Amino acid sequence: MPMISIERRLAQPRWLSVAVPIASVGVSFLVMAAVLAATGHNPLETYRRLFDAAFIGSAAWTDTLISATPLLFTGLAAAVAFRMQLWNIGAEGQLYLGAIGGAGAAIWLGPHHATVFTILAMCVCGAAAGSLWALIPGVLKAFGRTNEIITSLMLNYVAGQLLTYLIFDSASPWRDISTVQTRSFPQAIPLQASQFWPTLSPSNIVIPFGFLLAIGIAAVLAFLFRATRFGFEMNVIGDSQRAARYAGMRTRRKILAVMAISGAVAGLGGASQVGDFAHELDASPQGLQGANYGYTGIVVAALGRYNPFAVCLVGVLLGGLQNAGLFLQGVDFPSGLVGVMQGIILFCALGGELLIRYRVRIRRQARSTAEDVPAADAKPTP
Amino acid sequence: MRAITKRFPGVLANDSVDFEAAVGEVHALLGENGAGKSTLSNILTGLYRPDEGEIWLYGEQARFHSPSDAIDAGIGMVHQHFRLVPPFTVAENVLLGEHRPEARRFMVRPRQIERHVAELGERYGIAVEPRARIWQLSVGEQQRVEILKALYREARILILDEPTAVLTPQESEALFVTLRAMAAEGRTVIFISHKLNEVKAVADRVTVLRGGRSIATVDANATSRELAGLMVGREVELAIRKQRAVPHRPDVALEVQGLSVRGDRGGDAVKDVSLGVRNGEIVGVAGVAGNGQRELAEAITGMRPPVGGTILVGGHRLRTGDPRAAIAAGVAHVPEDRLGTGVAPTRSIAENTVLKSYRGSGVSSGPLLRWRAIREQAVELVRRYAVSTPGTHLRARDLSGGNLQKLVLGREFSGKPKVLIAASPTRGLDVGAIETVHGYLRQAASEGVAVLLLSEDLDEILALADRIVVIYEGRLTGDFDPGTATVEEIGLAMAGGER
Amino acid sequence: MINSSLMVLVLSQAVTYGTPILFAALGELLAERSGVLNLGVEGMMLVGAVMGFWAVQRAPGPGSLVLVLAVLTAAFAGALMGLIHAFLVVTLRASQIVSGLALTIFAGGLGLSSYLGNDLGLADVPPKYQLGQINVFGLKNVSVVGPILFNQSALVYASWALTIAVALYLSRTRFGLNVRAVGESPGAADAMGINIAVYRYAHVLGGGALAGVGGACFSLSITPGWTAGDSLVGGAGWIAIALVIFSFWRAELCLVGAYLFGALSGGLPAAIQAHNYKAIPTFFKTPEFLNALPYLTTVIVLVIIASGWAKRRLGAPAALGIPYVREER
Repeated sequence: MPMISIERRLAQPRWLSVAVPIASVGVSFLVMAAVLAATGHNPLETYRRLFDAAFIGSAAWTDTLISATPLLFTGLAAAVAFRMQLWNIGAEGQLYLGAIGGAGAAIWLGPHHATVFTILAMCVCGAAAGSLWALIPGVLKAFGRTNEIITSLMLNYVAGQLLTYLIFDSASPWRDISTVQTRSFPQAIPLQASQFWPTLSPSNIVIPFGFLLAIGIAAVLAFLFRATRFGFEMNVIGDSQRAARYAGMRTRRKILAVMAISGAVAGLGGASQVGDFAHELDASPQGLQGANYGYTGIVVAALGRYNPFAVCLVGVLLGGLQNAGLFLQGVDFPSGLVGVMQGIILFCALGGELLIRYRVRIRRQARSTAEDVPAADAKPTP
Repeated sequence: MRAITKRFPGVLANDSVDFEAAVGEVHALLGENGAGKSTLSNILTGLYRPDEGEIWLYGEQARFHSPSDAIDAGIGMVHQHFRLVPPFTVAENVLLGEHRPEARRFMVRPRQIERHVAELGERYGIAVEPRARIWQLSVGEQQRVEILKALYREARILILDEPTAVLTPQESEALFVTLRAMAAEGRTVIFISHKLNEVKAVADRVTVLRGGRSIATVDANATSRELAGLMVGREVELAIRKQRAVPHRPDVALEVQGLSVRGDRGGDAVKDVSLGVRNGEIVGVAGVAGNGQRELAEAITGMRPPVGGTILVGGHRLRTGDPRAAIAAGVAHVPEDRLGTGVAPTRSIAENTVLKSYRGSGVSSGPLLRWRAIREQAVELVRRYAVSTPGTHLRARDLSGGNLQKLVLGREFSGKPKVLIAASPTRGLDVGAIETVHGYLRQAASEGVAVLLLSEDLDEILALADRIVVIYEGRLTGDFDPGTATVEEIGLAMAGGER
Repeated sequence: MINSSLMVLVLSQAVTYGTPILFAALGELLAERSGVLNLGVEGMMLVGAVMGFWAVQRAPGPGSLVLVLAVLTAAFAGALMGLIHAFLVVTLRASQIVSGLALTIFAGGLGLSSYLGNDLGLADVPPKYQLGQINVFGLKNVSVVGPILFNQSALVYASWALTIAVALYLSRTRFGLNVRAVGESPGAADAMGINIAVYRYAHVLGGGALAGVGGACFSLSITPGWTAGDSLVGGAGWIAIALVIFSFWRAELCLVGAYLFGALSGGLPAAIQAHNYKAIPTFFKTPEFLNALPYLTTVIVLVIIASGWAKRRLGAPAALGIPYVREER
């Protein structure tokens, strides 16, 4: 009977860390094909249509970049924190807060300022709002040793309720209460055309400003990780908190700083949602709150192995998938399929990690019996 | 055991080892650290599977797929690092994993087991309160629980891996009596050790392992010189202690006054400790594991804030609880846990070279790192301290234990320390690496560094220290001159006998 | 009459809404006691909810049998989700945190549960059967305790039995002892011949099954039916994970905590909105604040716990979150 043994690799070959993620995407498409076939869909046909809708033609690319932009922000936000083993899964809520901050800045400034100035103010306010929101779990983690996974996640729900409250249940500055109609049917104050973020269209593809901003942030983060003392400390803390303490690093400050950066990046994503696309604080259930950008960002970050540029690449890929999913949604393409695919890709990538860290050997050995574990030991819950 | 071979990635731990023990004997497995003794015993207990070779028990071939097979076959093991569940009681630990048909009940009946455990303890002179929780017990008592676990399962073969490493000399004597009694009952006791005198004291026969191979099986009456020759593979001088010629200077580099430190379990792990280390002096802190050594080392190096007392380095008071302050004051630290604390395991050797100095102007300018300078430093350190590695880009965890310790020592020395705190610096290393580490410690002292050596290995302390203090339950219970003190005196202090 | 008083209403709602949290928390408790953190509870609950509802709509037979079948289907679906996590973290030694998050995304409101619900055509379909209240021993009208304790669905009664069973299992049985050892100190357990992987698989699967039943509480009893997205379960899975921490990994305390959160997410908001109290400022009566209340409370309780007793890590399995690898040197 062949026996599988798993051994730690003495050295991790470089090529593996590129080949394995690509192979995992391949495997996940195979698994997904099985799921599709099992639920009565033609996998090849579905894949072809997905690919067409995501990446064939300039209209498809334009939509893909629109879908990808928020994922780049949330992916980068998650990557910054996860790199230091700081599990900020609150990018969702931090993005809402960024949208609130960004829209607030635009509304407060009014339409009579230079666009550049408005954009700058929206970015600063969005980033600050997201950052402050992220600092809540950050402070609790640094000073109260509270589990940041749960606190940051709980705050997502709170942020969602806050968003709804501002538009639907209060007379907040974000809500349009100028007419009788908007008083009974709540609506957000729209941005003026002069406050819209610009787009770039080198060919027929329209590139949102937010997308370029995200790429710029990725570059800054890559530099931060690679070339600075701060990045060095992040890497060590992420690897071993005890070693970091041993080396005299100020772990608490790093936790606060990294949470603030992570929240700021997610917050910028929120501001970009307002400035680039929605042009108002969109609190409807189908809007920001229905998109789950923050959670998908976790997938993006994990697939990109927390490397900023890889995160951008994965963000575009998953953006394409999401765009195609929306485009094709219907009877033969049920919603939820995209989430399933994302999950499967992530599972395969996680399994692929094993191949990077360990060497799996299959060898033959004569065995008298199978695994003779007493059956009673496997008793499940009562 | 016949022709047992076991490979680990990059290491051939056992190379067709043959080994045989008779019923009713105490059989010693003698070998230096790294000779493959622990691997062999882990194969015999079903934890590891051999790549090649066979195990025969009482004339029948045995195949162990898991530890439960070995337990069913009557093999019990006392691991060097105990396999106990700290929050459980003694009785619960004994009961753990029990699956013999007669004991296979769904509900646990603690009373019955407690009585049984108490009886066994009485009979073999290793009594432990069955309702005590493991973490409340001393290390010696924990070892008794390990033996009781095996006896409760009616083990016919009992393996003990370096059992005396955690005992005082007197406790070791008592253990030997227990082991002889068990052998007299017809059990087989396999005693793993690297200490000649112990092996001679307790064993009937000795199998010597060296470099993963079985060298010979001889009668325990063989002379120490013969055994040592087999073990090391060359003629050896048995005199261990080497006197350093350099006289130490009189000024005190490290002074600890009235230090108290809280342990992980609450309660003070270090109580009112005062000691001084002069420039160029090696002070050894002897004691059985878990008597506050770790907390003492962590308090001096800032890893753990003390609850009372002061620490002076070079006459200046050290800000406690802040590793950065300790580093700045010139306190170097070789921690007990090299892989998780001494280095960041998955970062490169180069990064670990500057783990403490990355803030310095040599390797960074402003907020930016100078990678070229970092790599140069790493290459230099690897060369100077003979760290064997294909390159400085490798992860620290890919280094072997000895090379890792060289990296840590090299980095700590490169900071030009005044004081060096070395906690169990040779634990788990093989013979060659131990000698190298000892050499570096001696060299540091002769260059004027004040060295505080905390070790559970009394022989190591006797070989290196200029002065020996003994720690027991967080207090210093003895202060000895290694030239005149006897092992018995020190052992008594390690058991808290002398105040 | 006291039984229609506000307090009784709030408390009976607390039990109703606390029950899914209790199921999920007991499941997570089992998994964590074996040393495996599973953050995918929310996803497992959503899949349990949709599959339970599917069984109710499609299974043939008399109503009560169909409902039993539905609960079992939900448990099975949850266990399958747990199996994915167990395979990744036990066999493949993946990061438990990332794998759990992946499971949430895979199974969650925009993933498998949505896909299944839409593909099986379950959205906004009226339920064929639902688990109604059972008037136990005719005690429904006993004052105060009647409506709170004796006029609930079968799942509520099952959850009480389960709480006792889990508590006894962990403290009094041989398997419970072994599980705790596996979660505390797998090295010790392994040396005593306990198969770590088998125990971890079994308890992650069992935990998944209970999360599935927790999800079914929503789709079969509390709000019978299925709607797309994650609003059906609405964070109960995450609260369950937090609850395991609050309860110091003890089953009986899970029960108390679950009802506290049940009160916050079910009874109290309804009561406050129904009885427009003058003393409460308007902001605290908005649906948004009341909806956010359980989440805010979770954060606050976590902070209190972490700053006080948990410094001693009361009850947390020592090996929680750490993969066990035997032959590693």
